[in-house]
Amino acid sequence: MSDETTPLSPPEEDEALAAELALGLLDGAEAEAAVRRLQDDPRFAAAVRAWQERLAHLAEGLVPVMAPARARQNIRERLGHAVPPLSTDPGARTAWWRGPVGAILGLAAVAAVALLLVLPGLRDGAPDPAVPGYQAQLVAADADLAVSATARGREMEVALERGPAPAGRDWEIWWIEPEGGAVISIGLVPREGVLRLTLPEGLELEDGVQIALSDEPEGGSPTGVATGPVVAVAPLTRL
Amino acid sequence: MTPPAHIHKLRPNEIRGAPVSDQRRKELEDLIARVALGDRAAFDALYDATSAKLHAVCLSVLKDRPEAEETLQEVYIRIWKSAARYSANGLSPMTWLITIARNRSIDRLRSRNSGPSTAPAEAAASVASAEPGPETATIRAQERQMLDECLAQLAEPQAGAVRAVYLEGITYADLAEREGKPINTVRSWLRRSLLRLKDCVSQ
Repeated sequence: MSDETTPLSPPEEDEALAAELALGLLDGAEAEAAVRRLQDDPRFAAAVRAWQERLAHLAEGLVPVMAPARARQNIRERLGHAVPPLSTDPGARTAWWRGPVGAILGLAAVAAVALLLVLPGLRDGAPDPAVPGYQAQLVAADADLAVSATARGREMEVALERGPAPAGRDWEIWWIEPEGGAVISIGLVPREGVLRLTLPEGLELEDGVQIALSDEPEGGSPTGVATGPVVAVAPLTRL
Repeated sequence: MTPPAHIHKLRPNEIRGAPVSDQRRKELEDLIARVALGDRAAFDALYDATSAKLHAVCLSVLKDRPEAEETLQEVYIRIWKSAARYSANGLSPMTWLITIARNRSIDRLRSRNSGPSTAPAEAAASVASAEPGPETATIRAQERQMLDECLAQLAEPQAGAVRAVYLEGITYADLAEREGKPINTVRSWLRRSLLRLKDCVSQ
């Protein structure tokens, strides 16, 4: 590249600075000056926003990874949402935490969650029979591990029937799209009870999807990609 | 420079095609507007629609499940508290959400070693804009494809560096160490790569 030693022109300097600010590459006085400039220089601010839009496409390509249900519960508690609101909109669909379960959420969150797991159908009412259901039965080769997965619409449930992961390990659940498509972590097999989840954007229930379990460190793969051996795999088949 | 291996592992697994539809974008904007009014059901729906993606962003930067999970919680608390300022900033909804997740994750990454000193980019997301928000879903999908193609036109070390800076939060000091070159050299090199990327995308 012949231009490697030519100094950047002032407009190029501004553009590079906007990119660096959007990327978080500046520090110290340089960062402070750039942040101040955002307030006074609309063109510079627009350039920074354009870089944020441009670069966000990189993140849109990341494989979604479901967070454990306790993350949502913690957010609710930290925002003070884990108590029933004083008034509800009668036209709105009853959110599950506003129902009978909401009344006991003042108790320990763990107790509330445990109760939810044994009260089926609270979340969305009866399943719609028009939407096809799917299921997968995951059994390890030595049959010491059995996990069932059922899904309908965007809702999925995963239950351990036998064979919890050893101490310090977790079984991680993977969604494998048909024909060599994406492999997406959808959570960890619960040690007891049922894991309920909503399928993330981009995942569609269809023939050919497989569910797999891999052996991972406690809390799941640290990278979002399976690191341990796959202990069971099964296709999702129509109920 | 060898780009981090896991990014290469992830790339073939990218969710194919599926551009964010205009309708979906409008739904997200509508949810954020309702969250700004304190609507908890809308907040719940926004979490359902976006948390797996934002969790992936946190995980990409932090590479540690418990930390990513904790950061994800901070991200949604921030979304709840700052939703009222969203409509003024001119960013598309996913960009706004991704930027919050990325900046929170980078703050946490950098506070592991020293005190937080960088990544004030979040300030940019809160600057009001009089411009219309960016474009339709079709244009957005084209832009994403264009970015991929333009990254492919950069030499692999440059493209890998851009990805690693954005998706893993590495700094000029990290890049200099990886490359075995002075910080000023890698900075000049990355700035030129970014300008070339922008020229290519803007064609």
